[in-house]
Amino acid sequence: MSSTKSPPLTLLLCLALAACAPKPDVVIYCALDQVHAEPIIRRFEAQTGLKVQAEFDVEAHKTVGLVRRIREESGSTRCDVFWNNEFAHTVAMAEDGLLASYDSPAAADIPPLFRDEQHRWTGFAARARILIVNTDLADPTTIHGMDDLLDAAWRGRVGMARPLTGTTLTHMALLFPVLGEERARAYLSGIIDAGVNLTSGNATLMRLVREGELAFGWTDTDDFNVAREAGYPVAAVYPDQETVGTLLIPNTVCILERAPHPEAARRLVDFILSPEIEATLAAARSAQIPVRASVSRPPHVRSAADMRVMEVDYAALGTEVDHRLAELRERFLR
Amino acid sequence: MSRPLVLAALALLIICGLAPIGAMLPRIELPHLLALTEDRSLGLLGRTLLLGLYSSLLALLVGLPFGLLTTLTELPAARLLRPAALIPLLLPPIFLAITWTQLVDLRGAPATALLLAAATFPLPALFTARAAQRIDGASLEAARLAGGTRAALAMALPLVLPPALCGTALAFVFTVNDFAVPDFVSSVGPKFNVYADEVFSAWQTRTDTGAAVASALPLVALTLLALFPALALRRRGAFATLGRRGRPARPLPLGPWGKLLFLPAAALVATSALCPLLRLLYEAGGGPRGWSLAAFREAFAYAIDLCRSNLLTSITCAALAATLTSVLGLILGHALERLRRRTLARALELATLLPLAVPAVLFGIGEIVLWNHALTADFYNSPALVVLLYCGRFLPLAILVCAGAVASLGPQLEEAAAISGAGPLRRLTTIVAPPLLPALGGAWILVFVLSMRELDAAILVPAANSTVIFRIFNAIHFGRDDFVAALCLISAFVTVLPTLLWGLLSRRSLRILP
Repeated sequence: MSSTKSPPLTLLLCLALAACAPKPDVVIYCALDQVHAEPIIRRFEAQTGLKVQAEFDVEAHKTVGLVRRIREESGSTRCDVFWNNEFAHTVAMAEDGLLASYDSPAAADIPPLFRDEQHRWTGFAARARILIVNTDLADPTTIHGMDDLLDAAWRGRVGMARPLTGTTLTHMALLFPVLGEERARAYLSGIIDAGVNLTSGNATLMRLVREGELAFGWTDTDDFNVAREAGYPVAAVYPDQETVGTLLIPNTVCILERAPHPEAARRLVDFILSPEIEATLAAARSAQIPVRASVSRPPHVRSAADMRVMEVDYAALGTEVDHRLAELRERFLR
Repeated sequence: MSRPLVLAALALLIICGLAPIGAMLPRIELPHLLALTEDRSLGLLGRTLLLGLYSSLLALLVGLPFGLLTTLTELPAARLLRPAALIPLLLPPIFLAITWTQLVDLRGAPATALLLAAATFPLPALFTARAAQRIDGASLEAARLAGGTRAALAMALPLVLPPALCGTALAFVFTVNDFAVPDFVSSVGPKFNVYADEVFSAWQTRTDTGAAVASALPLVALTLLALFPALALRRRGAFATLGRRGRPARPLPLGPWGKLLFLPAAALVATSALCPLLRLLYEAGGGPRGWSLAAFREAFAYAIDLCRSNLLTSITCAALAATLTSVLGLILGHALERLRRRTLARALELATLLPLAVPAVLFGIGEIVLWNHALTADFYNSPALVVLLYCGRFLPLAILVCAGAVASLGPQLEEAAAISGAGPLRRLTTIVAPPLLPALGGAWILVFVLSMRELDAAILVPAANSTVIFRIFNAIHFGRDDFVAALCLISAFVTVLPTLLWGLLSRRSLRILP
């Protein structure tokens, strides 16, 4: 008899356990690496006494996991705060009416470039798109920017992540408004024609460069810093300082429309946007670049003020990514 | 079999395994289907098909002789080689790819096929070994006396070939659904894109999810096409080999060939199983920065300290899912095998395969659509949904394992018990279940192992954030290679623990295969 009753009994037990589980005061979906974000969230809990349920993403899913969940859950929203480690998906969600407006007092000193005019999201703690160079294989002073990847002298020895996901997708999609349609298309064609190696992600690219399989390639500053800290012969080139500048990809934080715990969500957003947290992220292994000039940072973290930053209208260009995805798939997924 | 019981089990199969798929299908519209015929999509599909064929053929070419030699012959260290060959099934194939691309310059399509073959050869090897164990010893002995070991193996070959082909079909299914290995291996050199990339990247879209759902259909069709012949062979009794009541075969002598054949068999296990494990041990102790015992201990202590609760969640969810699927697998597997209306049985068989055939990401999103509502919010947020998701994904395997085992039991005992007045429930629990205990144990372990390493669908449900495989892949990004390696080893050990315990505590060998 027992076996016949087991399936419904087990399910009932599961449901009962589910109903008895303690409820959080606020739910955050966080695309930043758990190892960096979790201590910050625990600090918030200690300061406020609120219980936070934090859910994370994995690199292999390139934010698709959390973004897709938010979109699919929009009929019955359970997430209060979304801490994204990039901006494109956040801006697209704002355009689609998924985000609530909140003008955080903690964001008052964040430059307007990184803030949505309608206060649906705020950017902070950025990564830069840089060229990681293996100094045993190439002299970083001779590498200046994006066009070096197309140089025939480096054929087969340079690389970038395949631009179908993550920050590389954002970066390549943004070349269209920055360079213009024609030049952007020429650059993308050049990548294919020049035999640029297309890796499975920025972290893979970093590993290939640090181990000397490739001389240099596009990656993010957080990946570069991992190689730098481990003592590999690598240098970062902040590209195109004489031309279009270096792309900064800020973290973004926002509150979901119909968030179940709006008051606690606001307190959490205020905490995340505080200068202390930006300083913490700059000092962490992810070496995020503070968007506020006043925030302290270790010497190996460049200041946004010390470099030519690519002029990007973040608010307007978030939707560009979705628009360009089909073209990039047509080119790079064949 | 009790009709209400079967209907209840069927209802659970529908809730766990079919409803998430059904919830997604209405998003597909005609233009999405038409887009599937574009040259680019067809090109990717063709390439994926070729990769699957090459890789699974390679898996068969090494798996079949490996299974035969380690089961039927006096191959040195066969008792060690056979279980060691299962290790690749415990680790995500990407670990094998990372290991070997670091050791040798393996790049491009041929390397991808080779690595996927190394990751999946245990499937044809297992099916071959299981079939070889069931060959009647007297027949094998007679063949050996007539023509030596070579004649005995030649006699065994046609008997183990259908099960080996079934294992190969499963290897094909794993291969065509993998995009991490082709993507990683072609990071240097010409890019080798596969169709699973198309499915994954389609989910980057902001709004048109119908196209993303539709993009999965060709992969589902490929998977079903591969599994159908395997099921047809099973239905025709091609896995029965010889004399179920015969005595086990005595190992065939190999003479001087023994040592010669040992070398390739050992090399196969070394490349596919030991190298990834050794690499993990090396990484856990500091890797290229310098290996030390202190660093090794520290990495393990850190991994256990940080992920104790994740391990507990994984074990609990996987064990609950394995228990539930084993019970459901017994009921539905028995019904499938004993159903008099064969058309209905085949339809049911097809339905059970669907959760295995759909891409994981689609299945996970289906769970959100199905369960994220105000009424079911508590359930949606809880680990119970993780258990349900594991059940849905892997119940088909439990059903197939149990159906295979039921097929090897004659119906006579059940008929006699029915004539004597035993009801369907009593017949199931006292006549059918006891001799199927090794198969039930096998199904339990199979679902437990797969649940422990399930990530792609589970990542989309809230509580799966607390599993150990999630922690591993979350940490991979950030270069804590020692921590990741230690956690992988702990996870692999926990995954294999039930199998070890069964081996130590039970006198009966597990029966995972038909």
